[in-house]
Parts: sequence; C-alpha cells; structure tokens
Amino acid sequence: MLKKLWELFIAFTRASNLGFGGGPALIPLIKAEAVDRYQWLDNEEFADALAIGNALPGPIATKMAAYIGYKEAGWLGVLVALLGTIAPTVLIVVILGSLIVKYSNSPELKAMLKAVRPVVVVLVAQTAYDMGKKSFPNYSSWGIAIVTVALLYFVNIHPAFIIIAAMLFGWAAYGRIRKEKVQDSQK
Amino acid sequence: MLFTQLWDLFIAFARASNLGFGGGPAVIPLIKIEVVERYHWLTNAQFTDALAVGNALPGPIATKLPAYVSYQVAGWLGVLVSLIGTILPTVLAVILLTGFLMKYSNSPILKGMLKGVRPVVVVLIAQTAFDMGIGTFPNLITWGIAAVTVVSLYWLKLHPALIIVLSMAFGLLVFR
Repeated sequence: MLKKLWELFIAFTRASNLGFGGGPALIPLIKAEAVDRYQWLDNEEFADALAIGNALPGPIATKMAAYIGYKEAGWLGVLVALLGTIAPTVLIVVILGSLIVKYSNSPELKAMLKAVRPVVVVLVAQTAYDMGKKSFPNYSSWGIAIVTVALLYFVNIHPAFIIIAAMLFGWAAYGRIRKEKVQDSQK
Repeated sequence: MLFTQLWDLFIAFARASNLGFGGGPAVIPLIKIEVVERYHWLTNAQFTDALAVGNALPGPIATKLPAYVSYQVAGWLGVLVSLIGTILPTVLAVILLTGFLMKYSNSPILKGMLKGVRPVVVVLIAQTAFDMGIGTFPNLITWGIAAVTVVSLYWLKLHPALIIVLSMAFGLLVFR
C-alpha cells in the first residue's frame, strides 16, 4: 500500500512538473506514467477517464490525478496524487510571488516585468488562437463568438451567464444530431 | 475579517474553476474577472505578472494562479481554501459520479453543449489577452518584444518558459 501511494505520488509529481502550458499539456505525460509505465489503466480506460474529465469544468490535471489515484488506492491515493500534481508548483509560485511583492519597488524587477508582460500577452493570445483552431467547425459557432463579444462589450454581463446560455444553445442546436459529432468530439 | 477573506477566496476560485470548460487555460479569464474586476486583489498589470510566473513554471495553471493570488491576500490558509475551491468540486464529481459520467460523457447532448461553449471560451481568452495588453505596450520596444515572441514561438519553436526568462533578462538590460 505504501509502495503504491509512493508510486502515485512520484508518477504525478513527474508528469505535472515536467510539462509546461497548463493542464492540457500534461495529459500525454500523465498517460506515459499511468498507462505505459505503471499500467494502472489501459489505453481505453485512459480515454474514458479523459472523456469524463473533459465533461467537467476546471483543471484537467487534477481530475485525472483524482480519478487514477482513487482507482488505485482509494481516498489516500487521491490525496497523494493531487499533492504530487500541485504541491511543488504551488510552493514555488508562492515564493516567487512574495519575492515580486517584496521587491515591487526595485527598478530591476520593474524593468524585468515591463519586458515580460508583452510575452505573456502573446502567450495568452496564442492560447486563444490554438483553441480557436478547433472551436469553429461551422457558421453557428462564429455566431456564438460574435454574440459573446457583443454581450461582453455592450451589455457587460458576467461570462457565467454566457457560458450557461451557450451550453443550452449547443444542446438545442447540436445535441440531437448524432452522426457528425464524432470528429469534433476529441479536442 | 480573515474569515470573510477566506470565504471570498474560496467562492471566487470555486466559481472561476467550475465554470471553465477546456482545462486550466479556459479558467484564466474567469480567474481574472474575480481577482482583478470583482475583488480587486490584483491590478491588471499584477495579474499579468502572476501569469508570467505561472507560465514560467510547469504544472497546471489553474492551481498556480489561485496559490499566487491567495497567498498575498490571506497567507497559507488562503492558499489552502482557494485550492480546495478550485479542485474539490470536480475531484469529487470525477470519483463519485464515475458511472454516471461515463454514460453521459459520450452523449450527443453533452458534446453539443461543449461544442456550443467552446467559441465562448475562445472569445474570453482572447479578451483576456486584449485586456492585459492595455498598458502593456508603452513604447515600440515592447511591441518589438511581442513580435520577437511570436517569431520565437511559431518559427523558432522556443519553449515559452525560456522566452519568459530571456525577456526578463532583456528588460533588465534595456529598461532599467
């Protein structure tokens, strides 16, 4: 049991802390540990776990860790897999964050941050672009995007309402056509 | 006072995380709305700095941002409650509702709903980039940094974390 917990911890620590680009970038690394290395799941089970995770909101890496951790070692497994996934970067981010706050008046730090901000803007724009490539299969999805822009800028509505409305629209508009769904179900 | 702050952190990150479909990156715009616009824990520029730190490190972004923000608001207890708000609801759902989700994750209804929400997520992330861009480009050099970043990402295929570190070194030399 202890060995299993240790393996879960180390597998998720390795998968999470070697992958850059947020949760979705970690999926192949998690697969390498859970399917190829430790054989906790086979390919098909992993695909099922991923489908379940994608059906829910929020970070994907923690959902995968919870699912696999529970399957292998119950609630204790969930705990260690989650700790491995988030603890190392949480610690580092807190330390770096407090350094930034502490030295926020230093001209050196200000200069560094001034130069890094354009990079971050590009990285976030790139995320939008990359996600956008798979998100507009037809005209109605462009329509959803245009309505979203209009609501955000002119009505100033909270995105939660737009998200829920778009899901209801998707249910009504795409939810009943069964066949052509297959190719865009995988992101 | 501390209690209300902890509650605010919990509810802000629970709301942001559990409305974002598409993994961590889809959650970034919703976190920004809570942190910058609703609770004013960080300014727009400080939020960009938080994202710089987050992107320079590996691992899930949706847990790094809450940790960064909530430590500054309420210390380690803040980190704990914001992380619980971020991951607990979906962690429980994935474990307790496995059978139900297994059936429903392949249903055309859910796929239709996710397809409907995806353009919204893209617009929200693009808007986040746009908002963060305001005030970020005070001069031509900063535009130059952005252009070099695009080239480095798409043609040179440099690692984002490396670009972040290099840009900071450049800033240290040029802007000080």
